[in-house]
Amino acid sequence: MFGLLARSIESLYQVTRGLKTVFQHSFRQPITKEYPDRMPDLPGAFRGRLSLTVNPNTGEHLCISCLQCERVCPDKCIQITSHKSPETNKPELIEFKIDHGLCMFCGLCTEVCPTTCIINTNDFEMADYTRESLVYDLKKLTLTQEESAFYFSKKELPLPKPKPAKPAAAAAPAAAKAEKPGQPAVKPADTAKEDKPKEGEGKE
Amino acid sequence: MKVGLDTLLFYLFAFIAIPFAYGVLLDRKIIRAGFLLIGVFSAISGLFLLLNAQFLAMAQIMIYAVGITLVVVIALMLTNPKSEDDISPLNNWNKIPGIVSAFLVFITIYMSLRAENWTVRNPGQLMQDNITRIGIDLLTYFSLPFEFASILLLVAVIGAIMLAKQEKEITQNNSDENFDKEELTSEDKNVIKV
Amino acid sequence: MTVSTSTSNKTQSYGVQSTGPANIVEIFKFMRLTIIWLSIIFGAVWGACWLFGVVLPACVEGFGLPAEISQTIRYFVPLVAIMVFIPINAMFMVLFERRALALFTVRKGPNRVGPDGLLQTAADAVKLLLKEDITPRGADAFMFTLAPIIFFAPSIFGCIPLLAAATGDHRLFSIANLPTGIFYVLAASSIPVVALVMAGWASNNKYSLVGGLRAAAQAISYEIPLVLSLVTICLLAGSLDVVEIAQQQVGGFLHWNILGAGKLLAVSQASPITFVTAPLLAICCILLFWLYMTGACAEINRIPFDLPEAESELVSGYNTEYSGIKFAIFFLAEFTNLFVVSAIATVMFLGGGESPIPGFLDTGFFVSVMGTLNSLLQPVPALQWLLNSLVDPATLSCVFWAVTKIYLIVFFAILIRGTLPRFRIDQLMDFSWKRLIPLVLILFLAVAYLRELV
Repeated sequence: MFGLLARSIESLYQVTRGLKTVFQHSFRQPITKEYPDRMPDLPGAFRGRLSLTVNPNTGEHLCISCLQCERVCPDKCIQITSHKSPETNKPELIEFKIDHGLCMFCGLCTEVCPTTCIINTNDFEMADYTRESLVYDLKKLTLTQEESAFYFSKKELPLPKPKPAKPAAAAAPAAAKAEKPGQPAVKPADTAKEDKPKEGEGKE
Repeated sequence: MKVGLDTLLFYLFAFIAIPFAYGVLLDRKIIRAGFLLIGVFSAISGLFLLLNAQFLAMAQIMIYAVGITLVVVIALMLTNPKSEDDISPLNNWNKIPGIVSAFLVFITIYMSLRAENWTVRNPGQLMQDNITRIGIDLLTYFSLPFEFASILLLVAVIGAIMLAKQEKEITQNNSDENFDKEELTSEDKNVIKV
Repeated sequence: MTVSTSTSNKTQSYGVQSTGPANIVEIFKFMRLTIIWLSIIFGAVWGACWLFGVVLPACVEGFGLPAEISQTIRYFVPLVAIMVFIPINAMFMVLFERRALALFTVRKGPNRVGPDGLLQTAADAVKLLLKEDITPRGADAFMFTLAPIIFFAPSIFGCIPLLAAATGDHRLFSIANLPTGIFYVLAASSIPVVALVMAGWASNNKYSLVGGLRAAAQAISYEIPLVLSLVTICLLAGSLDVVEIAQQQVGGFLHWNILGAGKLLAVSQASPITFVTAPLLAICCILLFWLYMTGACAEINRIPFDLPEAESELVSGYNTEYSGIKFAIFFLAEFTNLFVVSAIATVMFLGGGESPIPGFLDTGFFVSVMGTLNSLLQPVPALQWLLNSLVDPATLSCVFWAVTKIYLIVFFAILIRGTLPRFRIDQLMDFSWKRLIPLVLILFLAVAYLRELV
């Protein structure tokens, strides 16, 4: 009888403690991420949409068509078309296709890339209406100079050295493409803008 | 003849109660018959309300319409749901003794009701002092039946405890000597249930 | 290198969340939402009652019709008040519960529909009403339709006597008062169990049937402590009339039934035994309140007693097969039951519509506010007439305090829901039959003796 009483008081105390803890939770900042309104603050190692960078300083395309990413890709979703340049006798990029419907974002291609050209961006909003539109071509994949600079600093990668003087004809098409990026390539810039107020709020 | 609201309501409740009672007898689904019984009791509590017996009406709903009928329905669900279709309430052999006994019960109730000399004490006061009246009468004039009813309930409770306890003693022999009922683990409890 | 910086960022951000400033914004939003919804609800109810109780009878008499007709219209005021009140209130309570649970679980809750999620449940209601109404094959269609109606009807009729108590026996509502008030409410609140068994059986679904049977077993077990605790309070008050019980508790929180109905103040040197008995009585009454809340939570199938509709075990139990408007009625009735249960607790234990401290926001305060408003509206007699016919300061203070207390209890029930896990069925039965019922019987005897000794 006495033990029962003691246990009832003990359990009442425990329940009250639980209620108090739960009530105190209501004074904590909610951990809800208001995603569409506010972009999440993703770390640099986040593996999102694949992209090709350009040199942030000079704007020349970093891909050297070594085909290592194509070889290492487990899904075989990368398809590179290149030819040997008659002038420099080095491989030159013609077309670069990534099927994001096949890609599983393992990031192996970014690890083997010798020039840190192919990277995982922080963009993940790639939903589309057809499978065909998930196949990104060189134009859609290549980032602008500013975006490349953003990702190089975000991922803390060493900046690439500018290539030695090269015939202007080889660098021009890539640079021209880089200057007018496709529609999805704008998004990382938005991310960069959204990140700043978010960080500011966290400190408040 | 002027028909008052009371009379109209009486016929309303009677017209609810009688078809429901008939349904209890005739419904082929025995569980639905149980639910119809709730309707009968509710209509009867309406009749009590018309007689200014508020307390009785509430008790009727609370105890009969909900408590007891629910237990009956659950008991029906647990007995033998398969036999629903086999029961034919108008089987020829059951019909005649049933009608005869029903008629005899009706005659008995009717005669006893007619034989009693009904008097109504303070009809105007009843509405307000309903509970007081019942309380005083139960503890003075009707105290003997009241005590008998409580003894009956006590016996029922003791019987229920004995039924529940017997199972426990069987398993208690198997377990240790310092058998503390309060500190049973869940598995032990399941053993007892089995 | 990259990895290490990202983890350090993460810990930093979590550190900010746990030790950061108090979550004032969300709490403020929650309070604002509550106040807005409550003013909408009670504005609507007040307006409807005013129309039916004052304007319509005045018009009828103005047309020279007999006084019986206007009187009959006045009789319908409690019914109109409830019919207006229940749907809006249920919508508010769902939102209230969702936002409060969000606060407890460190979330934000619904905040997309309407300004700051105010209209979320209104949108939900529209969605439910537009959904297809399905009757499963093999179900008993008549019983299947009848069950939600039987479930809902008692919560309409059951709270009528409470209306008289919560408005301080206002002349429009005093017709709803009954000499057997609390017994009527209890009888009405016991009916929904029938509907649950009916719904479970008529659905032709194993899970529903198990849910219905569990509901019946649970309701029968927990109705005993529930009713006995209220009976003990009736014994203490010497009445079954809710208005009378509420009016006995006038004069501050020490007079409330939860603290022994003012017996603590009756402690005197003349009879030293009261120094022991009065606190004992208060402790008994607090235990009774706890017993009542436990039984009530079980009676309306709320967590931690939500076994009949356990989502994870029984796929929502008795309302598995329900959809559309029938499900909406079940949902509506559940929240209305929560409100009714809280209202009973308020009237029986917490002094109904009385201010906890005499002189703090009580009738006198509202009278003085009315006086200032009257003097402000002096130049416009029409508005003055409108104000005086619309607002009765005594009723206003009564309703204000009753609603405040009721929603505090509702909030407490939500807090319990956010904290405690669900019982197991055998623990549930053990708890009622082995703990609560003996305890309430002991308390009943103790109160019966103590009220004579104080």
